[in-house]
Amino acid sequence: MKILIVLLNLIILLPALAYGEEQYKFELSETEKKPYHFGGYVEFRPVVFWPDTSSALYKLNYYKRDPGGNTEEYNAKLQLEGSYEKESARLYFKTNTDYKNSYFGESEHSTFYEGYVSLKPSDSLKVDTGKRTFKWGKGYAWNPVAFLDRPKDPNDPELALEGYVAASADYIKSFQGPLKTFSFTPVLLPVYDHINDSFGQNNKLNFAGKLYFLLYDTDIDLIVFTGGSKTTRYGVDFSRNITPNLEVHGEFAYIRDYQDNFIDSNGNSYINEYDAKSYLLGIRYLTASDTTYIFEYYHNGTGFTEAELKNYYAFINKGYQSYLSTGSDSLLQKAANLTENNYGRINPMINYLYLRVSQKEPFDILYLTPAITGIWNMDDKSMTISPEVLYTRFTNLELRLKAIVLVGGRDSEFGEKQNDYRLEFRAGYYF
Amino acid sequence: MYKLLISSVLILLLFLPAYALDGTKVLEQVDKNLNPESYEAYRKLINVEPDGKRKEYTLFTIKKGTDKIAAIFLAPASEKGRSILRLGENMWLYIPNVGKPIRITSLQSVVGGVFNNADILNLDYVAEYNVESLKEEGKEYLLSLKAKTREVAYDRLKMWVDKNKLLPTKIECLTEKFLLIKTLYFRDHKDFGGGLVRPSVIETDSPLYKGYKSVIIYAKIKKRDFKDESFTLTFMPNIETLRR
Repeated sequence: MKILIVLLNLIILLPALAYGEEQYKFELSETEKKPYHFGGYVEFRPVVFWPDTSSALYKLNYYKRDPGGNTEEYNAKLQLEGSYEKESARLYFKTNTDYKNSYFGESEHSTFYEGYVSLKPSDSLKVDTGKRTFKWGKGYAWNPVAFLDRPKDPNDPELALEGYVAASADYIKSFQGPLKTFSFTPVLLPVYDHINDSFGQNNKLNFAGKLYFLLYDTDIDLIVFTGGSKTTRYGVDFSRNITPNLEVHGEFAYIRDYQDNFIDSNGNSYINEYDAKSYLLGIRYLTASDTTYIFEYYHNGTGFTEAELKNYYAFINKGYQSYLSTGSDSLLQKAANLTENNYGRINPMINYLYLRVSQKEPFDILYLTPAITGIWNMDDKSMTISPEVLYTRFTNLELRLKAIVLVGGRDSEFGEKQNDYRLEFRAGYYF
Repeated sequence: MYKLLISSVLILLLFLPAYALDGTKVLEQVDKNLNPESYEAYRKLINVEPDGKRKEYTLFTIKKGTDKIAAIFLAPASEKGRSILRLGENMWLYIPNVGKPIRITSLQSVVGGVFNNADILNLDYVAEYNVESLKEEGKEYLLSLKAKTREVAYDRLKMWVDKNKLLPTKIECLTEKFLLIKTLYFRDHKDFGGGLVRPSVIETDSPLYKGYKSVIIYAKIKKRDFKDESFTLTFMPNIETLRR
């Protein structure tokens, strides 16, 4: 009996002993460098939408359908990434597969987000060739100077984006004194059939360049893009810590000969050409209680005026009435074509405010970060409010619950979106 | 009588700066004994919760001189590729998905838990602190340190130093008004080669995180020279290429 008790005690104590022995173990194998790496990310994201059946975009997208109340959507994502390194050369790739099961049916799309070869002859010079992202600019929600990137979603600015095929180099030089760092990044970006053909006008070889300075503890970038696929544009940005817990940043973009394509309420198209100026000013502030505030003002010089957007919504309503009375959807088809890459782009109007407040580990609950984000369209007074909770307790697993509430009157940007509310859960696992 | 008084004051005046100088020298020696001036190292950072649950991070770190330090996360997978850079009081975080370095502060923590960014990217103590006083407590010195600027993460430090080894055994991080923020315990002395024998484990707890503790374990600290260009924003995505 005693032996049994001893054995039972041993069984109970063994895990504790093992735990004690394992404390603070750091195996040398964890520090060995391998020439290759393979990893990835898998995500499951169900979403519930509460539609606004009287909104213009609901009519445009659902005029032939009746989902009958709330709609659900099930999204999955798989990203694979790998690299292989030999001497000063490195091969890197990242793929992305999106799967969606919604009211409209199933869809799947796979592509290479990035895939390039890097040559690093010295610590001062690196040359990249292939598909990659650049992510220029200092803004959190918007980047008017990101001339070489796809626009990011201010509701999820940290999502990975697809790059473009380009050849680029980074030359870095460090100094003593007020100018601590200088770097130069020239980029060649071709746009031909099947190469970057979504970027802009075809059969052009574009050039972009960025000069970076760390001067008097301030990050400064000077940026230029030219070549014909898009009109020539110039940019400047900066970022600086005023105090250890307060950072300020800004961007300014000057876009020459920008063409604004807009319609009147009857669908007649017009083009207005002008030099556009877009800019952004923002701060990031951390309080003693670990609350982070990100606040940005964005002026989109290429945006639509309130009247232009109102005409677009009026045209959709006209097309919808025409469909109801005649059964012809030709006007709605035309409106749908105008939506893509034009009226349908993210934040298509002129003046916006962004505020994000996140609280790290409230009530001493480690790995929990609640946040609330607001985007306010200053022109038509509509807005989105997004509360969320992120939990990262489990290694490599991120759990996020997020709601988006869209507020706005008729003819306003967020008031005419097809949904009033959205609730989504995201479970993402890194491997 | 006057002569005796003047002599005593002079002797005292002579001793006071010598005492302060000793404190600075002790601190300089502590820095030298903890790390070579320029080095590479591997570190594991462990956050331990009251119920024993852990979260672990592995980092490769490079440092040059008194004001340049950078680190890249090697594990876990969710953090791999993230890098942090510190140039003096400037600090940036690079997240591969975000794709560009963003400025962060020394008070934030990129990993959660008790360690903040200043603990993870710590510069030489003598670069950030002045010695206010030095006392002897048995086998240890007790140094009272005051931050040189308001940008330093902790306004004050109380550092207990082993007299023989001239290595810290415990550091209390305090506010300007002497409120305790956290305590660092230096443990498990290990020979890293090249004449470097130092604590391989730094454990911390905090009255602000009752029951929680965080630990840094060091491995493979090696003296190594780096170019200044390795400590730049443009180079942040490439820090891992410096591993051998």
